[in-house]
Amino acid sequence: MNDKVNPKEIMDFLKSKMGARFKMWLKICAHCGLCSDSCHYYLANDKDPEMIPARKVRHLQEILKKKGKVDRDFLEKVYQTVYHECNMCRRCTLYCPFGIDIALMIGTLRSLLLSQGIAPEGLMAAIESYKEFGNQMSVTKEDWVDTVEWCEEEMAEELLGLKIPIDKKGARIMYTVNAREAKFYPQDIMEVAKIFHVAGEDWTLPSEDGWDDTNLAMFATDTKTAKQIVENTFRRAEELGVQQVAVTE
Amino acid sequence: MDFYSFVEGPLLWIALLTFFFGTLLRVVLFLVVSRQTDKIIYEHFSWRYALTTIGRWLLPLNKDVAKNPVFTVLAYIFHICLIVVPIWYSSHITLWEESRLEWSWTPMPDRLADWMTLILLAIAIFLLLRRIVSADIRLLSTFSDYFLLIVTALPFLTGYFLTHGTLDHIGFLADNMILIHMLAGELMLILIPFTKLSHFVLFFFSRASAGIEFGRRGYSM
Repeated sequence: MNDKVNPKEIMDFLKSKMGARFKMWLKICAHCGLCSDSCHYYLANDKDPEMIPARKVRHLQEILKKKGKVDRDFLEKVYQTVYHECNMCRRCTLYCPFGIDIALMIGTLRSLLLSQGIAPEGLMAAIESYKEFGNQMSVTKEDWVDTVEWCEEEMAEELLGLKIPIDKKGARIMYTVNAREAKFYPQDIMEVAKIFHVAGEDWTLPSEDGWDDTNLAMFATDTKTAKQIVENTFRRAEELGVQQVAVTE
Repeated sequence: MDFYSFVEGPLLWIALLTFFFGTLLRVVLFLVVSRQTDKIIYEHFSWRYALTTIGRWLLPLNKDVAKNPVFTVLAYIFHICLIVVPIWYSSHITLWEESRLEWSWTPMPDRLADWMTLILLAIAIFLLLRRIVSADIRLLSTFSDYFLLIVTALPFLTGYFLTHGTLDHIGFLADNMILIHMLAGELMLILIPFTKLSHFVLFFFSRASAGIEFGRRGYSM
């Protein structure tokens, strides 16, 4: 990881994200402190003033003020705040007289960090996997279909006539899973197949991208990838002409 | 033209026009820019959510009242005094009547104006102490937070001195209190569009955007 940070890159990125609301919020925040005790990080850390939601957006103010001229160490500090001191629950917004959306600004800082290659390792790996494989666990289409077929064979011994329909056009429900199920917990898929079979439900699993219903890209506010993930699922649902998309528990 | 006539005439116009057009510019800028950058507000626009949320926060019908009753109630009283006294104080109305606009409306009783001024000043002191004493608020506070609180209180403080001759035993102040009072008011008017004081109008847009986002999800507005 190099130590240089390109201020222009940072400012260009922020400019593309900073809407009229952001500028208004940063301008009008009265620093009244009403958001303090709405924050569970604040309460759980013995009311540490550093945990006040309004305080946490100071990084954004600072980056803008310095016109992006910040260093890696600074970005690491931002990382600490936006990943370990805020989980973007938006509760503070409910208590802000102006309705300032702190979480949205924290999210923007997360996406800024991601653009600089800073994010939790697992999260970055998952995002790369979504981009390459369409799911967070790097499961190939062959492996996915194989797994489902294997699940069907296993279950058919227990429940006679059980089928796991793949890409069945016009089914009522398209079922989607967490990619971890395909990778580590295929028994979860079997259990669901059992329920659908016994209930006599008309269902199907898609073979193409869109079967993983997790969206970890959202956690890094990687909106582009997050959008792609959702679009995959919608595209499969439209292709198969299903009435509903069901999501794993 | 001497300094007094300047403050009483041209500077007052400059202050009023800066306040008016500066505020207008802020609103127009927000509306124009947000059309491009914050489409979500317009795609999901709802008068119902926008007006509900504005109403709930203009009146004490929101979540903060229960959570922080003391601060919230004081903040409401502060804002009421801040708006009512300058507009309905009898001597101010007299000035409007004497101006070229010749506007006139019914004044509030002077005794009430006195009390509301004192209440506002008391709350301003509370807000200042809160910023200094509370470790939380002290950390959040910037120079402009202290400065603007003083800018906001100053017209009321000088107005009270002016009408009661409190400091008239000091020759300079006795002669110039009206000048100081006008300057204090003009300073505040000029600063409003460029500082957090612009929340007096941006509140409505900020609140409405939040209401639109939260209302349609069924959250508290």
